[in-house]
Amino acid sequence: MHDPENRLTDAYEPEVGTIPSDDEGRDEENVIKTGTTTVGIATEGGVVIATDRRASLGGRFVSNKSVTKVEQIHPTAAMTLVGSVGGAQSFIRSLRSEANLYEVRRDEPLSIHALATLAGNFARGGPFFAINPIIGGVDEEGSHVYSVDPAGGVLQDDYTVTGSGTMVATGTIEGNYDPEMSIGEARALAIRAVRAAAERDTGSGNGIVLAEITGEGVDIDRFDDYDSAE
Amino acid sequence: MQGNEQQAYDRGITIFSPDGRLYQVEYAREAVKRGTASVGVRTADGVVLAADRHARSPLIERDSIEKIHEIDDHVGVASAGHVADARQLIDVARRQAQVNRLRYDEPASVESLTKEVTDYIQQYTQTGGARPFGVALLVAGIEDGQPRLFETDPSGTPYEWQAVAIGGSREEIQTHLEDEYAEEMDLEAGVELALRALASVNEDGLDATGVDIATIDVEHQQFSKLSEDDIAERLTEFELGGDE
Repeated sequence: MHDPENRLTDAYEPEVGTIPSDDEGRDEENVIKTGTTTVGIATEGGVVIATDRRASLGGRFVSNKSVTKVEQIHPTAAMTLVGSVGGAQSFIRSLRSEANLYEVRRDEPLSIHALATLAGNFARGGPFFAINPIIGGVDEEGSHVYSVDPAGGVLQDDYTVTGSGTMVATGTIEGNYDPEMSIGEARALAIRAVRAAAERDTGSGNGIVLAEITGEGVDIDRFDDYDSAE
Repeated sequence: MQGNEQQAYDRGITIFSPDGRLYQVEYAREAVKRGTASVGVRTADGVVLAADRHARSPLIERDSIEKIHEIDDHVGVASAGHVADARQLIDVARRQAQVNRLRYDEPASVESLTKEVTDYIQQYTQTGGARPFGVALLVAGIEDGQPRLFETDPSGTPYEWQAVAIGGSREEIQTHLEDEYAEEMDLEAGVELALRALASVNEDGLDATGVDIATIDVEHQQFSKLSEDDIAERLTEFELGGDE
């Protein structure tokens, strides 16, 4: 019945739910990927995350034109879907459960650093390899943006970009980021970056989704065109 | 006679008596009372753990009598009752403290660490063939800059305290703590109170080799044990019957 030893949780796996051990044998051709441009910018007032809305098959066919690639995973944090859609969605569900469990057990939310560490551990030890999300959030320490790579690397920065449109979007932000900028200015810069990437990267396009994260919570809005997002 | 009625229900740990008692857990509490006392005092700038560890023979190596243990940089545990049982729980706490660092890259909170231990203890009150832990622990540490002090008992219930005693003469020591405790006292005053509380039930006075003291302070969030000399100095200062 009870095995007291099992109480000690593995640091590299979710506590809740079982996960497939690998993606081997799956038909790579038919795995929907996001291609994607996702941008996260930290300011003193909060974090802005912007993503495009395109999903594609093998980079040749647009399989969905209205994907919401940023989701709330914590009371004051959100994560982007980048890479395999299935992997990213299950990753988000797992992290969200972990954050809920932590908060209900300890009566305080996970810090953003702890959330990013957990995400890195899961990416490192788990089955979610083909993903490259951004985690953005606000806690007692302030605003934070992290990128998580498929091997579990977790890097914090003032702003970060992941996905197939990374080069174009980063070029747009480079030189225009200012740590003093307001959340509104960061939002405008994020829109410009995703817009530029959508113009040049075949994996990105079909409008924009914007998430604004402050100490109050996460607001996510979807727009068909870039002008109305401004 | 109570004996007969009791016998039917005190064999298996998983069996309630008709009046809703778990005798094995109650017997485990008796085992705690047979142990020498440990005391915890929470002060404004840290937590103090003190333990009576007088030796049964002058030939024993004092350091081999373990009553206070470091769990992680910022957490310590004092025990009363079966030392061997305590060691198992201390290892659970040590491992869980490191799991927390691995998993979240953060020090474990004192409260969650205590609850990991009490959940572990509880499973030994409900599993067939098991015996409960005959030990109580005081878990002391710093969490988000705040000093915290918890007690675990053999039933697996966690309690939080400002100041508390476990083990032999618990009631008398607790009364002393209740009379003398002040919320605003500093760490040094906490050490004094802990020593005076232990001395209140030792008519012959305390001896520096028979007491163990550790503190975890808010400023450095670091567990540290007082040396024998430091303890002797304080016993003399407080006139609690040091070596002299």
